[in-house]
Parts: sequence; structure tokens; C-alpha cells
Amino acid sequence: MSYVFSQLIREWRFLLRQKYLVILLACTFAISGFAVFSGLSEVSQQQHTIERLKTADLTELANVQNKYSDAGSLAYYSFHLTYSAPSNLAFAALGERDIYPWKHRLNLLALEGQIYESDSQNAELAQAGKIDFVFVISALAPVIVILLFHDLFANERTSARHDLLVTTAKSYFALWGARIAVRLIAVIVCLMLPFYVGTFLSHSALADVGFVTFICVIYIAFWTLLSVWWGKNANSAPRVASTLIGFWVLVAFIIPILGDLVINKTVHSPKGGDIVLTQREAVNDAWDLPKKTTMDAFVASNPQWKDHVDMQSEFEWKWYYAFQQVGDEKAGELSHAYRDAAHTKYQLAGIVSWFSPPLLLQRSFTRLASTDALAAFRYEYRMRGFHKSLREFYYPWLFIKGNPPKAALKSMPSFKKTMLNETDEPDVTGVKLKENL
Amino acid sequence: MSINNFSKVVIVAKDEWRYWLRSKLAMTVLAIGLVLTLASVIVTAITMMELSHARHELQTTSDKSFVNQPDRHPHRMVHYGHYAFRTPSPLSTLDPGIDAYTGNSIFLEGHRQNSAMFADSRQGTALTKLGSLTPAFIVQTLAPLLLILIGYSGISRERELQTLSYLLSQGTSGVTLIAGKGLALLSVVGLILTPLTVSALFTVAAGESLLAVVSFVVGYALYLTVWVLLILLASSVFSKNSGSFTALAFVWILLCIVMPRVASTSASTAVPSAGKIETDFAVKAQLRKLGDGHNANDPAFMQFKQSLLKKYNVKSIDELPVNFRGLVASESEAKLTNVLNKFAQQRMQAELKQTKVSRYFGWVSPMVAIRSLSMIVVGTSIETHHRFLRETEQLRFDFVQGLNKVHVEKLSYQDDMNRNASTEATKQARVSAQNWQVLQNFTFNVDNAQVRAQRSIPAFLQLFIWIAVLLGGIKFVGRRLL
Repeated sequence: MSYVFSQLIREWRFLLRQKYLVILLACTFAISGFAVFSGLSEVSQQQHTIERLKTADLTELANVQNKYSDAGSLAYYSFHLTYSAPSNLAFAALGERDIYPWKHRLNLLALEGQIYESDSQNAELAQAGKIDFVFVISALAPVIVILLFHDLFANERTSARHDLLVTTAKSYFALWGARIAVRLIAVIVCLMLPFYVGTFLSHSALADVGFVTFICVIYIAFWTLLSVWWGKNANSAPRVASTLIGFWVLVAFIIPILGDLVINKTVHSPKGGDIVLTQREAVNDAWDLPKKTTMDAFVASNPQWKDHVDMQSEFEWKWYYAFQQVGDEKAGELSHAYRDAAHTKYQLAGIVSWFSPPLLLQRSFTRLASTDALAAFRYEYRMRGFHKSLREFYYPWLFIKGNPPKAALKSMPSFKKTMLNETDEPDVTGVKLKENL
Repeated sequence: MSINNFSKVVIVAKDEWRYWLRSKLAMTVLAIGLVLTLASVIVTAITMMELSHARHELQTTSDKSFVNQPDRHPHRMVHYGHYAFRTPSPLSTLDPGIDAYTGNSIFLEGHRQNSAMFADSRQGTALTKLGSLTPAFIVQTLAPLLLILIGYSGISRERELQTLSYLLSQGTSGVTLIAGKGLALLSVVGLILTPLTVSALFTVAAGESLLAVVSFVVGYALYLTVWVLLILLASSVFSKNSGSFTALAFVWILLCIVMPRVASTSASTAVPSAGKIETDFAVKAQLRKLGDGHNANDPAFMQFKQSLLKKYNVKSIDELPVNFRGLVASESEAKLTNVLNKFAQQRMQAELKQTKVSRYFGWVSPMVAIRSLSMIVVGTSIETHHRFLRETEQLRFDFVQGLNKVHVEKLSYQDDMNRNASTEATKQARVSAQNWQVLQNFTFNVDNAQVRAQRSIPAFLQLFIWIAVLLGGIKFVGRRLL
């Protein structure tokens, strides 16, 4: 045992004497540290935003409830905060949260007109992309590994030490094994140490940390083996490195870009604008249509209200909300196709990612951290469920009972209370939500 | 440099090309580079042309359907709203910039300022997180890597093969040698830039100004020159091929892959900006003070009512020759728009501040410099987006107030007040569809080329400084070459 140890010590000293390796490792550590730090601060900003919004939302709701007492106005002026809080692991994989919205305020008006609003951040910053831990591991680590390992043999050959080293070394491991082990451990420590500090600060689950460690080590080992194997018989270190970097460019950039191109050409999706336009036209036309037309369409999908749709005057809130819902239903097919297309694209991207290890890593990581498109779909799904529960709350007052007493408002649904379970499957706006989760 | 020296430089460059032509690696890399640039130019051009076409069509459809609405109460049309689409600038075929992130259509309606919607990225595959097949990405990120792969050994190779001392002792100065290798690499830059330049020149036919095209091409030429100089410097400094390669590969990943992200992350951390939902609370609080424009009896309009009665010298609003409800709607829309614009302005300022911070990183990374330069010159940067938002806001305000004017002048107050009394009364409270002609044709044009060129000056400066510093470094090293 002490023999192995002494070999490792020797190689460790050797590594520390090579200035460019030390610089490389120091930079790696710094970049990984910066990624984790900025990830943590981003997540804490998001959490604080949600907390501030929650408070403001409650105050606003209380204001509205003080000012109005009829169900129609209450429903019109009351907005409800919905949000999807970042998970504990989100700091390491910020994922798609800068593209898909994670907070919305909804009222009882047509949902299709509200759900596509995005509270987007600075587009120019979003376009540059963010640096997070998963980016460092998936995109940068391979290059670092390549730079560390490509010249393992070639370097000794060009310095004409190779043959001497091989003949004097006690065993294969004593020389190359120890050298590889020391460099591998050094790079893993430099990359992962900041991550562990991050998980500690964000109270991540131990199982998640274990799993992340597992996939990261496998991934780094894959690139190490590839670099060592490819460089084994080479004389020219740069030639080895350029082929390896070429391979990296292929799997990290070219394959995903081509995959994206093919997927976008094969999967057809309705334009988002068409959904809103359809919904909008339906809602606006309803003002001029005979009331009966709207109410018939409404009753067709909501038969439980069929005895309560008669109107006493030219404007009644129940009719107003009925045509809002009918508008949603008219856009339902399109909206459903839009979601379906997004799902299909996500799944096809999964197939592509099998040919691109960096993407595969990102995908499994963001899935674990619930920051991927699936998590965003799930949030949208929950919003739809919540909107449904709002309707269920208001409709009895609107159609039958009139003004709700103040006490009744206490049982008004809130997003927190009605948050759906992963397995719930409400059918929303007449179109059964089909989710391929 | 004398003629004699210059011909030596050309000879060195020719020799370098001879070496590349014999090397499989260099030829493969060159071929890949050209194919990628060409493919990206073609693919992006097709996509942007389709987009441009689609948006033109959508704009026409949307204009038509507004005008073709039936007779209605004018305020219904205020809520019916209108769409504005941003057609991409001709040069955006080369750098789509933030187009995919901002969305390109905006819904305009009364009492609200919506954000641009339907960013294409929401229908994305998440596969292009690292880069997409746009000429901008290929030339900004991959072209430097290709140059490194071809040129890293320019001088260090001579040293490793021990031909360097031979060359120098024959009377070729170090600077001449470096200049020759540099000329060879610059000719590669020329090759890479050819498809870009040709397609950029094509946009002149589509109405792009020559100034923008020239700034665009010159910007990229400067950027790739920075890389050529970096490669020459590393190749001269390191004694071994492997050293110069490793150093260059590492510098590339730092400058091209890491720095842009560090820049954007630092900017959003340094200048946090409140999201729209959050500012909405503050907006709403201010708006509440203004009163509800739908409710002519809102106490907030008492003063307005008094001043009107005085102006027309009448006792009650029934006697007014104009529709009081319409006047209230118009008055409140104006005040509300003031408030909304104040907040929108704040938001844009915050975004500009963030962008500025991220652009400072251009001093550290030429990639950040060319990224901003390219987007600014093309007209796909945040400034252009803000301009789109401001212009559509003007469009919104104009058509809403146009409809409010119809409300004031064409609909009697009595009919308006009775509108919900019966089906007949509702019909009575309508105006003819001919009044829907209030829409002005909306076409969005990016800022003119001078403005864009002016904005890109800092980025140009950053690239010039990079070049100057590197030239200094090379001169210093060139004299001591051995």
C-alpha cells in the first residue's frame, strides 16, 4: 500500500512542478467556483423574488376584496400569483428557466390570452447564455481533460525520455497509472469542490449529490480514457489534441446543431401567435353574437350550468366569463397542438443527445434539478389546473348565488393550496391534457 | 518595410501555404471551416427570409382584420386590439442576435403595454445551448479554433525542426518571418470571410446601407486579425509545438466559450432588474390613483368634469356637445400611458445598464467585443428591440386615442349610457365600421446605419486596442526570436 502511495506522491510532486498544468488546474477551479457562486446567487434572487411577489400579491388581493363585492368584479380584478420555485439543485443547472417563465399572475379571464406572457429578462444576456456548473462540466471539462491527458505519452517521446521511463519503471501502473490517477483526481477535485460547497449551502439532498457525482465522474473518466487511448501511440501531441478537440466540437456543437435543424424541420407546430389570435377573435366576436350562441357553446362543454344561463340584461358577468371560456375552448385544439409539438421536440432532442455526451449530461442534470423544459411544461400544466379551480370557485357565485359573502372569499383557491400532484390529470378547457411524462 | 523585405514576407507566406497543402490536417480543417460558414450562411438566410415573409403577411392579415371588423361600440375596438410585427433587418440573415429571445410580435390594446410575445426559443429543443448554426456563431467561435489548428505551429515548428536558426542566419529577420506567417494566416481569414462578405453585399440590394455592411465585414476582419496575432505571438513565445497548441486551445476556450457567459452572468448579478410582474405592482398602485377610465363616475374624474362643464359653459354632462364617457376614456388613457411609459423607460434603462456592463468585458475578450459589434451593426441588439417597443407603444397610443376620438365625437352620451338597457339600445350604441380606419401602416425599420455605426465605436476601439497590444508584443518577441 505504501508503495502505491509513494508512487502517487512522486507523481503529485511532478505535477506541481509543471507550471502550465498548475495554471490550467487553477483556472478550472476558478471557473467552476464562479459558476457555482453565480448559480447560487441567481437561485437566491429567484427565491427572494417569489417571496416578495407572494407578499405583494396577498396585499393586492386584500385591496381588491375590500373594494369590490360582486363575484364578477372580484374575478376581474383579482390576480393570483403562480410560480415554480427553483429546486435545491437548480444552482448547478439553471437550465431553461431563463427561457420558460416561472412566474405568472392569472385571473379568471381567458387563460390562453395570459399563459404565453413571458416575464423575460434582458434578451441580450439570455442570448449569451449563462455559466452554471453543468455548463462547466459538460462543455469545459472535456477540453480541460484533453489538454491534461493528450500529451501523456507524446510528451515523454518528444523529450526522448519515453523508452528510458518504460524500461526503468517497476510496472505499468507505477508510471502511467499513477500519473493518470493523480491528474484525474486533481481535475475532479478542482471541478467538483465548488459544487460540494454549493450543495452544502443549498441543502441539496444527499442522493442527488451522489448521483451527480456519479455521472460527472463517469463523464470525466470517459474523456480521460478517450484522450489517453488516442494519445497512446502518437508522437505529436498537438495532432492528438486537435483530433480530440475536433471530436469535442463534433459532439458538443455540430451534432446538436444538426439535430436541432432536423427536428425543427420535421416537427410542425402551430404558431404561438395564432393561438392568441384565435382566442382573441373568439372573445371579441362574442360581444356582437347573440347571447344564446355563446351560452349554447358554453353549455355544450359545461352542462352543469344549463339551467342557469338565462340573462336578465344586456350585460351579465356570467355571460362575460362564459365567452372567455368559449374563447379558450376555440383555441384549445391549436394550443394543444402547440404543446404536443414542444413535447415531441423535447423527446426527439433526447434521441439526439445520445449522440452527444455533453448534451446527455446536461439533460440528465437539468431533469434532476427540475429546470428543463419538462419542468416548465409541468408548471404550465399546474397553471391550467389552477385556472380550472378558479373557475370552479367563481362559477357557482356567478351563475346562481350572486355576491359571495366575505367569509366565502377565504376559501378562494390559491396556487399553493391547489398545487397539483405529479400524477393528477385534470382535463382543462375541454381538451384532455395529454402528457407524456 | 522595403520592397525587398515585402517580397521575403510573400515568400514565407507562400511557403507556409505549401506546407498546409501537404498537410492533411490543415486541409481538412480548412475544408470544414468553409463548409460550415457556407452552410450557416445559406441556412440562416433561408430561415430569416421565411420569417420576414411570414411577418409581413401576418402584419397585413392583422391590419385587414382590424379594418374589417363590423359596426361596434368604439371601446370594443380598443380592447379588440392590434398586432405589430417586427420584420428583421436585411443583415440579420448573418446575425439573428436576440431575435429568438425577444419574440417579434406584440399585441397592442387599450390600457396595457404588453411585452413582445412568442419568442421562438420556447418551442426550442434546448440543443443549441452552446451555439447555433448562424454565421455569427461560426465565425465568432469556431473560426478562431480553425485558425489555431492551422497556425499554432507557424514559428514553433521551425524552432522544433531547427530550421529557425538557419532561416535567421540567412538574413531573414524575425519580424519578417512572423509577418510572412501572419500573411499566410490572413489569407485564410480572407477565405473564411468571403462567403460572409458576399452575402453581406447581397443585403445592399435588399436595402441595407453600405456603411453597415462595411462596418460588419471590417469588424469581423479585425476580430479574426486579433486571433491571427494571438496565434503568431503564442507560436513565437513557446519553444515547442505542444506548448503553443495547449496555450492557444486554453486561451480560445477562455475567451470564446467562458468569457461571454461570465460577462452576461456578471452583468445580471451586478445590475439586478425587477421583472415585469414585480414592477406591475408599483404600476398598479400608481394607476389606482388615476381612476378607472371605464367608470365615468369615478371620483378621480370630478375635477376633469368640472373643467369640462366650465369650458363648454353648461350645467350638466348631459348638455355637453360631446360624449363625456369618451372624454374620460381618452383622458385616462393619456395619463395611464404616461405612468406606463415612465416604468417602461426605467426598465429599458436598467436593461441598457446591464448590457453595458456585459459589453465592458470586450476589453478582456475580443469575442465579447465582436459579439456586441455584430449585433449592434446588424440591428439585432437590445437597443433596436427597445426602439421596436417604443415605436409600437406610439402606435398603440395613436390607435387607442383615435378610437377614443370616435367615441367622443360619433357616439352620443345618451346612447352610450343606455347601451346595456336592451338589445336595441346596444345596437344603437355603435358606430360605423368606417371609423376603423384609424390604423396607420406600421413598418418597423431598424436605426439608420450612422446611428448603428456610432453605437459600435466602443467595440471597434476594443478590437483596435487588442490589435495594438498584440502587435507590440509580437514586435518585442520578433526582435528576440531564436
